[in-house]
Amino acid sequence: MLQQVLQATASGVVTGCVYALIALSLVIVYKSTDVINFAGGEVVMIGGYLGILGLLYLGLPYAAIFLFSAALTFLLGALFDRVVLNKVLGRAVPGQSILVAMVIATVGLSYVMKGSVRLFPYTEEVRRLPPLFTGEPIFIGQVVLQLQDFAIVGIAVLVMLALWAFFSLTIMGKALRATSQNPRAAALVGIPVRRMRMTMWGLASAVSAVAGILLAPKLLMTPDMGVIVILAFAAAIIGGFNSLPGCIVGGILLGVIQNFAGLFFTSSAISVAPFLVIMLILTLRPQGLFGGRVVAKKV
Amino acid sequence: MYGSPSWRRFAPLLILLALGAVLPQLVPQYFLYLGNVLMMYAVLAIGLDLLLGWAGQFAFAHIAFFGVGAYATVIFQTRLGIPFAAAMPLAALLASLIGMLIAIPATRLRAVYLALATFAFAEGAQWVFNAWDHVTGGADGLRIPTPNLFGYPLGTDPRAFPVMAVVLALVIVATLYLTTSKFGRSLCAIRDSEHAAAASGIDVRRTKVVVFAISAAYAGIAGGMFTMFQSFVNPETFGFAQIVLVLSMIVVGGLGTLPGTLIGVVLLGLMPDIMRTAMRSLLVYTELVYGGILILAMMYMPRGIWGTFVRRRAQP
Repeated sequence: MLQQVLQATASGVVTGCVYALIALSLVIVYKSTDVINFAGGEVVMIGGYLGILGLLYLGLPYAAIFLFSAALTFLLGALFDRVVLNKVLGRAVPGQSILVAMVIATVGLSYVMKGSVRLFPYTEEVRRLPPLFTGEPIFIGQVVLQLQDFAIVGIAVLVMLALWAFFSLTIMGKALRATSQNPRAAALVGIPVRRMRMTMWGLASAVSAVAGILLAPKLLMTPDMGVIVILAFAAAIIGGFNSLPGCIVGGILLGVIQNFAGLFFTSSAISVAPFLVIMLILTLRPQGLFGGRVVAKKV
Repeated sequence: MYGSPSWRRFAPLLILLALGAVLPQLVPQYFLYLGNVLMMYAVLAIGLDLLLGWAGQFAFAHIAFFGVGAYATVIFQTRLGIPFAAAMPLAALLASLIGMLIAIPATRLRAVYLALATFAFAEGAQWVFNAWDHVTGGADGLRIPTPNLFGYPLGTDPRAFPVMAVVLALVIVATLYLTTSKFGRSLCAIRDSEHAAAASGIDVRRTKVVVFAISAAYAGIAGGMFTMFQSFVNPETFGFAQIVLVLSMIVVGGLGTLPGTLIGVVLLGLMPDIMRTAMRSLLVYTELVYGGILILAMMYMPRGIWGTFVRRRAQP
């Protein structure tokens, strides 16, 4: 039993790292633009398909498809913010929550992305990206892990470190943080707020695309794989939906919780675990396990 | 317009009732089916609009109450032997009670968290419809018995059509009274500013819980309407795509306006069926077109069709 628990924990951490990446992308968008991105899962899906396109059809090396896919989704996200959200924001109706309009726009985006991917007959069959590394599985005590699992954790941690370094060490990152904390004050000190929002959308989409490539060898690719976003929502909510370190912990916790649910209850409990987690956290501790006190947003 | 709504606003309902009586004799069955679908969506959308357009509460749980209404209407009849005429109101009541239970914790949450919590609840409810298979039939679904309304069997499109029209008319009357009442004005006050509403003596939490319960009851009624003309219910019917469809109807039509909601219902409610039957070769574009409509509507018509062309805000 102990061995099963350890195995469930280890593989939960691996999938949890991917959830954490997608959750990071959602929270980056939310913090900087106050939008819940319901198209987050579809960006993951597009990222995965772009990876397949790059690796199997353009003959790019494996390392390059991360850049290829991230660069294209960066453009996609930035473009969506520039063309659509900018317009929606500019036409805010007094007395009507702008959140609704923004969320519907992202739902629209998710349908457009799913619809465009489906136009390629290639996606009618379930596809799969070859793993980054293949080789003998590695035993740590009794726990078995694939080389690919180590690659997933390694790359996820690398992305997280890069994000941390970017946000806390570079001028650009600091400007982005300032914009998300108080756009008006940021504009006053000369930060180009619009461009910052675009950058945040692009950055978040690129992070999702990396998650997509990491998932593509483990999950089967279909145009509908975007539903995975619910797991990222759960991870982000555990972390309070406004804290980047929080959603990394949240993602890993969720991966482990899911595996435990499967181990101790039934396998169908795996799929309901995230919803229960969301509802429990929001009823008992809406600020998440790591979020500070909830304060009303200043205008 | 305070107090009771003017008689002028009830006039279109007479047309609805007349159509309900006459159309089944004149129109082919397929059009009656479309009419039934639209009337069901209308009740669903009007209920969601009370919550979102009037009270400003952004919640996704509506589709779950729709599911509870449909399943409970069937299960009350088949398992408990309750006649349809009582099963449908009881199912709506059950949906309303569950709505109230959800609302008590959920109304403490602010916009984003409310949306996410109710989204999770809706997905969880769909999971229950799937997993509780000895009651709901699981993924295979349940066959709907022919509902018998005081000896008048429904179950086919022409027979259900007049009854659906009556139910929709009643729902619209109730909505007109509700929104022109003090309660309707409290909802608007809460939507525009919770602090100001509380300061003027409105019990914000209680009002929110009540509007949640009412909106859930509407969804439960729509669930009962579903069983009047469909022969089969399965969890697929109550997924995320459905709630997005209903949400889009009220947003594209015009939030907080009854005519806007109905316009949205007709425009978007017909789309899936028309795509499926008339334009089979274009089926692959459905999602693309649908997503495009949503994005463009948000960009160019934030007040919806009704708000853009008639320029009236949701004011009682």
